[in-house]
Order: sequence, then structure tokens, then C-alpha cells
Amino acid sequence: MIIKLLVNLIILLFVPFIMTGLINKTKAFWAGRKGASVFQPLYDFVKLVKKDFVVSKTTSAVFNIAPVFAVASVLFAGLFVPLATGNAVIITPGDVVIFAYTLGLGKFMMLISAMDTGSSFEGMGASREACFSAIVEPAFFMLIASVMVLTGIPTFYSLYGVVSSSGIYGILVAVFAVIILFIMLLTEGARVPVDDPDTHLELTMIHEVMLLDNSGLDLALFSWANSIKVLLISSLIACLIIPFNIPVVLHILCYLLVAGFIAVAVGTVESGMARIRMPHVFEFIFIMSSLALVVISLVMAKVFGG
Amino acid sequence: MNNYFIGILILLLSGFAAGLFNRKFKTIVMSVLAAAGSIFCLIPAIDVLSGSRALSRTFEYNQVFGQVTFSIDHLSAFFILVITIMSMLSVIYANGYLKNYLESKNINSHLVFFPMLIASMLLVVTCQNSLLFLVFWEIMSISSFFLVIFDSSKKEVLQAGVKYLIFMHISVIFIIIAFALMSIKSGSFDFASFNSVMQNNTSFANIVFILAFIGFGTKAGFVPFHNWLPEAHPAAPSHVSAVMSGVMIKMGIYGIIRMIILTGTPSKMIAFGVLLAAVISSLYGVLYAISQHDLKKLLAYHSIENIGIIGIGLGAGMLGQAYSNPLASLLGYSGAILHVLNHSIFKELLFLAAGNIYLKTRTKDIEVLGGLIKVMPATAVLFLIGSAAICAFPPLNGFISELLIYLGLFRTLEINHLPVMLVVFFAISGLALVGTMAILCFSKVFGVVFLGMPRSEKSANVTSDCGLSMTIPMGILAVLALLIGVYPQFVFFDIKHIVYCVFPMDLVNLMQVSMVPLNIMQIVACFAILFIAFVTVIVLLKYYLTKGKKVMHITWGCGYNRVNTRMQYTASSYAGPFLSMLKPLFKKIFDIEKPKNLFPSSAHFHLEIEDIEEAYIINPLLKLDEKFLTKFESLQSGNIQSYLKYGLVFLLAVIIVSLLIG
Repeated sequence: MIIKLLVNLIILLFVPFIMTGLINKTKAFWAGRKGASVFQPLYDFVKLVKKDFVVSKTTSAVFNIAPVFAVASVLFAGLFVPLATGNAVIITPGDVVIFAYTLGLGKFMMLISAMDTGSSFEGMGASREACFSAIVEPAFFMLIASVMVLTGIPTFYSLYGVVSSSGIYGILVAVFAVIILFIMLLTEGARVPVDDPDTHLELTMIHEVMLLDNSGLDLALFSWANSIKVLLISSLIACLIIPFNIPVVLHILCYLLVAGFIAVAVGTVESGMARIRMPHVFEFIFIMSSLALVVISLVMAKVFGG
Repeated sequence: MNNYFIGILILLLSGFAAGLFNRKFKTIVMSVLAAAGSIFCLIPAIDVLSGSRALSRTFEYNQVFGQVTFSIDHLSAFFILVITIMSMLSVIYANGYLKNYLESKNINSHLVFFPMLIASMLLVVTCQNSLLFLVFWEIMSISSFFLVIFDSSKKEVLQAGVKYLIFMHISVIFIIIAFALMSIKSGSFDFASFNSVMQNNTSFANIVFILAFIGFGTKAGFVPFHNWLPEAHPAAPSHVSAVMSGVMIKMGIYGIIRMIILTGTPSKMIAFGVLLAAVISSLYGVLYAISQHDLKKLLAYHSIENIGIIGIGLGAGMLGQAYSNPLASLLGYSGAILHVLNHSIFKELLFLAAGNIYLKTRTKDIEVLGGLIKVMPATAVLFLIGSAAICAFPPLNGFISELLIYLGLFRTLEINHLPVMLVVFFAISGLALVGTMAILCFSKVFGVVFLGMPRSEKSANVTSDCGLSMTIPMGILAVLALLIGVYPQFVFFDIKHIVYCVFPMDLVNLMQVSMVPLNIMQIVACFAILFIAFVTVIVLLKYYLTKGKKVMHITWGCGYNRVNTRMQYTASSYAGPFLSMLKPLFKKIFDIEKPKNLFPSSAHFHLEIEDIEEAYIINPLLKLDEKFLTKFESLQSGNIQSYLKYGLVFLLAVIIVSLLIG
């Protein structure tokens, strides 16, 4: 048990760096470059932690504690998600609610820390981030609730049962669920086409622009928290894909494979398309809600139609 | 029970007693007496909640009213607890707040009506006689009306007050009709006798429930009967809006819960209706909250949202009851009841903080504020705790009740019935959307009001925080919010008995069913403590490790170094993208003066968002009404003889009609 816990913890803490590195590597590959090592984000992290940091005179204590909340919220939300070994630390009905609201706390702190600098750019980033994530959540809840109805399990473990439990409906639901979670990952992880992490123009950023004034340790913590969040959402996708009753070692391998595959997919999407124009981002995120409605109707069909 | 009546008496007299003293001591006398009265009333409530039997006392009142019973069961005791604690804290706060208004001409009536409002609410939740209930209900509405128009020299305050009064009187008509229908059938005014009438006749019960729901729902602020709320709350002084929003609108919820108890098992249609109305209310409330720039108006819209959340809990409970799923009922009802307490805690905290801000800056417009955390650190921290609680973040209290409500909704999904599932899916996604919109709204409010730099003179001139008499009651509220969040299992243990009152099942069954949520609550408690410990340790670590590594500099302006405070993001711009996404749901009123010429001298932009219900339903109705009524203008001659003539004609008409029917 303890070993599993440790394995999960190590993977949760370090794989996010490699995932980010892998995304960058994929982008480099499509661009025909050699690209930095996949461990580059880890080196960056260590370097940032060692550095001094510049803090705006306008800021207050909120700016100082927000990065801690951001990391704490993703780590504690991670307690409820089945991770690399297929075990969640805490298994309870209602875990989806605790998961979402704990992440919400981290997001809230990040938003107000952006407002704390008094910069118009950061306010703009905060406004966009708050707005886009507001429409992600309902679709996520609809998805998890309908999966719960489908499998009859009131926790995140219901995701494991989707494919095995209900034949063709299960497979269809799983396909849509993967798409929904992938869009959620792109939105929450601030990737193209919702946001462009590599843009050099503040006006077009969402997530990065909120961190304009963070440097050193603060910046390191924020970007680490964000990549952990990406891994958490990938874990949910992994639950849908990996069969439940397989040996632990095999599960870990599958999990890493899925995480790697998702990183490559994100990198490919990023190389293949540009960021959507800001007014049209809503339309992209609303794909989630419409697919969630499709999932609900599939579940209804399964429950009432036979 | 004696303590209770002594408490009521002290409350009723405290305002008059305060009138005997001179300016300096008036408010202190009122505060002390009212707090003492509340404590007296609290004693029997705590007795009942800690496990003794329900208390009651019956009086032979007179021919008209018949027997009058006052009783304190678990539900009443819970509401007494909420009323007394919240009133006590706001009465202490009022002491500090009113220091600035001692010269006001309305101060004496204010000091009489404030404790009277508290007393009338306490009477409403214990009275078991429908006729006397209505009397207390009226006293509650009227005393709060006088509290709202405290600042009656302002035109908009008076308008808001009158609007409130009209809404309350329209709503009470529905309650009267509902009670009248029941008492005609049962032949008595006693709630106990209504019970049998309601439980034997489903269609009759449905009609009565709908009428009562409209009546009580108006008080509570359910959409579409919410219009008085966003106007009355900003008009009233802060401690009054705290009590009105924190406690008084919950009397509507109390009425609805009493109606659920009277109907026994609610019918399916009613359960659907309540759930749908609640989801729409909560979405509507938070949507308009995002669009507001008036701090207190924004908080008032959040009250509508939270009343909606309470309603979702009640709806889940009723669905569970109608389709006999006891666990769903337990979860839904306990979530709703706990949210009544939680909402009154954090909403009162937020309103009192808004009062502090108003006292120091003399404005409620958040667009001109900013940077207050540096000069008002205590208020800022307390407001932050309040906003985290209202956004339902763990480890605070709002999260616990929303979690219970979510769990209730998840359980109702077990009911294998297509309409139920559709409605519940709607409710779940609605609740999730409300949660994230609350994050948007409160990050906006906190960011714009407390963070960044002052946006105008008004906030730049603030030099100090409010005194301890104002921050201590708020501190107590913040501690309560944290305690409920960290020890939810104990709270749930008590709430269970209150739910038992609404939804009776045998005790063995209740114990069994409540094991599931109790377990979850324990998990949440551990989670909360660990989370707090983790964050504290890391924050301290970070503080010590990074000492001396910090360099202070101005905010990065992309190379532009002459940034001024007007360049900061404002509340309108923060909410802009979200509001433009939902354009059709708002009526925007722009006030723009564009810059002209080469060297523009003046320009401004102001955006006001009007309630669509008010713009498209209420105002046209009022216009129609006015058109109709002006036709009778000629009757109003100002001549006393002709008025006597009208009276005579009316009396004759009544006599003739009654003879004809008779």
C-alpha cells in the first residue's frame, strides 16, 4: 500500500515535467527542429527555484501565498483521482465535487493574485481565465454524473467501468468522454487552440499573462501546479482507457503510455493549428457541453431503452 | 419556554428603553438589551437541539384566534439558533456602525424596530396558530420596512422601501389564501389540524402548496418574485441588510419547509417545480451578481443565488421523498438546512464587510475602489474568508452544504424515471455553473475592491480600518465558517435530527441511512485539517526560505513605466467577456460621452445593467396599471362629502349583495 502511494506520489510530482517536455519535443519534431531535452522543464524548475525574485510594490500578501494555494489545491485534488497504480488515496462518493471545488480554490487564488498586481494585462488574463473555466465545469459534472448512472459506481472509479459494463453504449460513451476530457485538458492546461503558451504578445495570452509579474519560486510553483493539473485530467482519461483488473506494474506502464500519448497529442494539435480567435474560444469550449449532452442521451438510451 | 418569552419581552422593550437614554448611550443600551434578549431565547433552542423533547405552551387567547400554541421543535429550534446568533452579532456591529448616524432623525425609530424585527422573526418560527402567524409575519415585514428607509432623505431609499412594502403585501395575500383554504377545510387555525387536511387530499394540497410557495418564495427571493431584494438590501444600513439577507429571507424558507411538513409526502409535480424554480433562481441570481458594480446590490443577487441553492437541496429532498429514496431525502434536506445556517454566516460576514467599506469610503460603487487591503487589512481578510465560503471552497462551511446537496442530487439519479433524471442532470450542471460563476464574481469583487491600487480619491483617502466593535463580530462569523468546514461531522450529527422533523422515518433506519454521509463528512474533516496544515507549513517555509531573496519593483507594464491607477482592469471589463457571451439575457443601459476634438477635455463611460424581468415584465405591467388607474382620477375630488358618499354606496352595495346571496 505504502509502496503504491509512493509510486503514485513520485509520478504525480515528476511526470508533469516530462509531459511538458514531451509536448515541446513533439512540437520541435513537427517543426523539423531537434528540440530541447524532455527534462528541460525540470531543469527550468530547479533554476527558477534557486533564483531571486522580483515582486511588484503594488502587491499584498495575497500575491505571496497564491502560488502555495495553487500547488496545494492540485496536490489535494489529486488525492481523489485514481493515479498511476490505479488507486486513489481517498475513495468516497462525492469525490468529483471535492476534486472540482479544491481545484476551484487554487484557481480563485491565482485569479486574485493576478488582480493584485494592478496591471491591466493581468486583469485581462484573469478575466478570460475565469470566464472560460466557468463553462468547462458544467460539462465535466454532467459527464461524471452520467458515467455514474451508467456504471452505478458513485466515485471516479465509475470511469473504469464504462467500456466493460455496457457494450456498444459504453464504448461510445468512452469515446465522447475522452474527447470531452481532452478539451477540458486543453482549456485548463492553457494549450492551443484555447491559449497559446508560446505567444510573445501579452494581448493574446490567457494563462501566461496572469503570471507576468511572477518570477523565481512563484513562477516555478504556478507552472508546476498547472502541469500537475494536466496530469490529473490525463489520469481521468487513462481511467477510461485502461482495463481495471490488470496487474499493478502493467497498469503503471499503461498509465505512463497514456500520459505520453496525450502529451504527443497535445503537441501535435499545437503544431497543427493556430489559437482560435478570442471571441470564438467559447464556441470551442461549448463543444464539451454539447458532447456531454450526447453522453447523457446515450446513457438515457442505455438505461431506459434496454 | 419561560426563558423564551422573557427573551421576547426584553427584545420588544429594548428599543423603547434605549429611547430613555441620551445620544451617547442609546445604541449601547439597545445592543446590550437586544443581545440579552437573544440569549434568553437561545437557551430553550439549545435545550431542544441537544436532545430534549420539543417544548410547547398553549394559551386560550380569545374568541377569534382560538387556542394559540407556541412550540419549539427541532426545526424551530434550529431557526431560533440562526436568528439569535446572527442578530446578536449584527446588534453588536450596529453599535459601531450607528456611531456615525447618531444625529439622524430616524435613529429612535431604528432602535425600536431593529429588536422588534428580531422578536417578530423569533415569534414567526414558533407560532403554531396560522392567524397569529400572519400577524407576526406582518410585524416582521413592516418593522423591516422602517429599517430599510432609515436613510429616508434619499429618494432611491424611499423608493426601494415602498417597493419592498408592496412586494411583501402582494406575497402575504398568497399566504393568507393558502392558510384560509386550509382553515376552512379543517375548521381551525391550528397548524396541527392542517396536517390531516393536507395529507388526505393530494390535489388540494398541491394548490395550497403552490400558493404558499409563491407567498413564502417572494419573501425568500425565488425568481421571478425576487425583484424587491436587489433594491431593498442596498438601501438599508449594513447591519440591517445583513440581518435581512442573512436571516429574514430564511423565514420564507422556514415557511416552505413547514409546508413540506404539512403536506407529508410531497407530490411529484411539486418536487419537480421546486427543483426547477430553485435552479433557475440560483443561475439568475449569480448571473446578475456578475453584472453589478454596486457592492451591496451584488451581494443581494448572491442571496437570490443561495436561496436557489437551498431550494435545490429541498427539491432533491422532496424528489427523494416522492420516489421513496430515503438517502436522497436525507442528503438533500440536510444540505438545504445546513446551507440556511451557512449562508447566513457568510452573507452576514460579507454584508458587514461591505458596511465597513461604505463607512470608510462613502461609496458602494466598486469601480472607484481599489487597494483597500493595505489600509483595511482586517476587513480584507474577513471579506476574503467570506468570499471563499460563498464560493464553496473547502475547508469552509459553504462547501459542506453544497457537497451534501450534490450528494443528494447524485442519489436522486438512482431513481429510474426519465423526467427525474433529466431534471436532476439540469440541476447538477446548473449547480456546477453557479459554482464557477461565483468564482468569477468574487474574484472580481475581491480583486477590484481590495487589491491593486486605489481607483479614485474615495479609496485613496482611507487611512484606517474600522474599530474592534465592528471587526470582532465579523471575526466570530469567520471562525464559525471555518469551524463548520473543519468539523462537519458534528454539525451533520445535529442536522440529522432536524431533517427527521421534516421527513420522519423510524430511528433505526435513520441511523443506518445517515452512516453514508457521516463517513463522507469525516473524510472531508480529515481532508480539511490536512489541507490547512499543509498550506500553513508551506507558506511559513516559503516565508523563511525566501527571506532576502525578494527585490521590490513596480508592476511590469510591458516596458511602459508611467502606469497610472486608471489603467487597471475594472469590474465591468473583468465581467465583460462573460457578459458578452450571454448578451441576450441582459438589458444594458450605456452612458457614454466619447472623447471629441484633438485634445479631448472630458469623456466617460458608464454601463448599468437592468434586470430583464423588471425591464420587460414588471415595468410594462406598472405602466398598464397606471394607465388603468388614471381613469379613476376624477373620483379623487379632495371633497370630504363625496368620500363619505362613496363609503355609503359601497356599504349599501355590500348589504345588497350579501342579501341577494344570502
